[in-house]
Amino acid sequence: MKVTLTRYGGLAGGISWPARSVKSDALPGPAAAELEHLVAAIRSEAPLEAKREDRARDSMGYTVTIEEDGGRTTVVKRSDATMSQKFASLIQWLDGASKGSP
Amino acid sequence: MCHARCGLNCIVPPHLLRKLLESRERDVRESAMNTLLATTQLRGERFVRSFAGFLATPASGRRTMHDCQHSTYLPFAVVARTEDGAESDDHAVNRAFDGLGHTRRFYQEVLNRNSIDGRGMRLDAYVHYGVRFTNAFWNGEEMIFGDGDDIIFTDFTKSLDVIAHELAHGVTQHTANLEYHNQPGALNESISDVFGSLVKQWMLEQTVEEADWLIGSDIFTPGIEADAIRSLKAPGKAYDNEMFGRDPQPDHMSRYVVLPDTDEGDHGGVHINSGIPNRAFYLFAAAMGGCAWEAPGRIWYNALLASNPSTQFQEFADTTHMLAGQMYSAEEQQAVAEAWREVGITVSGIAAVSRRVAMGKGRMAAASRVAEIARNGGNVSVLSKQYDALAARVRALESGLTPVKQKV
Ligand SMILES: [Zn+2]
Repeated sequence: MKVTLTRYGGLAGGISWPARSVKSDALPGPAAAELEHLVAAIRSEAPLEAKREDRARDSMGYTVTIEEDGGRTTVVKRSDATMSQKFASLIQWLDGASKGSP
Repeated sequence: MCHARCGLNCIVPPHLLRKLLESRERDVRESAMNTLLATTQLRGERFVRSFAGFLATPASGRRTMHDCQHSTYLPFAVVARTEDGAESDDHAVNRAFDGLGHTRRFYQEVLNRNSIDGRGMRLDAYVHYGVRFTNAFWNGEEMIFGDGDDIIFTDFTKSLDVIAHELAHGVTQHTANLEYHNQPGALNESISDVFGSLVKQWMLEQTVEEADWLIGSDIFTPGIEADAIRSLKAPGKAYDNEMFGRDPQPDHMSRYVVLPDTDEGDHGGVHINSGIPNRAFYLFAAAMGGCAWEAPGRIWYNALLASNPSTQFQEFADTTHMLAGQMYSAEEQQAVAEAWREVGITVSGIAAVSRRVAMGKGRMAAASRVAEIARNGGNVSVLSKQYDALAARVRALESGLTPVKQKV
């Protein structure tokens, strides 16, 4: 499985943020299991609350793309205004996994 | 204290009760509240109504700072500082508290506006949001600030203009409510940048020449080679580095960036194309000299009040041009026209403005009336209420006129 995080927008809307990609088979066993767990958690989440998004300004957008080994791809989107704790945990984990590279 | 204990039988004049309700001492406030509730029962419904309005709208935009403790779930945040509370040990809390205080004072003293909604709306801010969170935003009700990733960005409370930028989104929401897409969205962003910068200039007592005209000059980490996230004076030149690219803001309509109206496309480039009206404001302020929050700031603020959710650059430019003439003089009006011309927008002449007025008795007419009274030294808070009433009537008229407009 390959998980890629892209972020866009936000107060500094013009800045282009590099994507972060993590391949589970390149991770040690416990880390790979942790990633699987975090990904499963965001898959099971309820749809976005569109109403909250309407009045938000400068919120940053996030797209997580999950590419399964079998070829299936899932795309999950959130923004700061529609952030969930599960999605935030995955972002934090992915940022941590590639810490040191901006 | 005597006045705190006078209780139910004491007849306290309303103006004194009002003062007591704002007291720093909880006992005093509670006693005043009890007295108010008791006396209103005696005096009848009319008194209740007049005070209910006051109670529903705290008079001063009271501040509450919350510490998210690195969660993104706001209900988990703890109160870190209140309006009457002690200073915090946390610099981010105090910076947000002070920044919102300065911004609130700017709106009150310069624009005679009482907080975000004009009626003393409370100011809630959240700091230490998330982990290495590289953003600050307005969620429709509150302002939220991240600590930065310590790679590109540091704490977002470090720039007063960023704090004022976010609060201005609240002001726009409660006035023109500019849609967050394409040109209205870029105007929305520009208004936040303009007033973000003006609050800082006003605090530092800077002239147009002394001001840096930058947004977020203090939120990059020391190692990052960037002046800021945006420059009103020089859109497109705030940063240029390998790590995150080059400032994409245009400074002229010929370089307007067409982007998709999606999250990924920054809703049609709202943070990108704001460079055009930003530069127009700077050019006008530079032509006037002195303090930018005076004539330029007041004209732009009144143009915001006269705008609507779908206002485009052209209409906004026309409104600022008309207001400059009505609130000030031909010199200001000429400078406004020249500023917009330099960014590629030719203000529509008096004929176009008159046509709109004739068609709709529209927003322009409402703005015109407000401007006229303002020029004659009217009380702006009273005017503001008159304006709101006029604007509501205008909106009603306009919705009725839509089919006619479509035929034309
Ligand atoms: Zn903004």
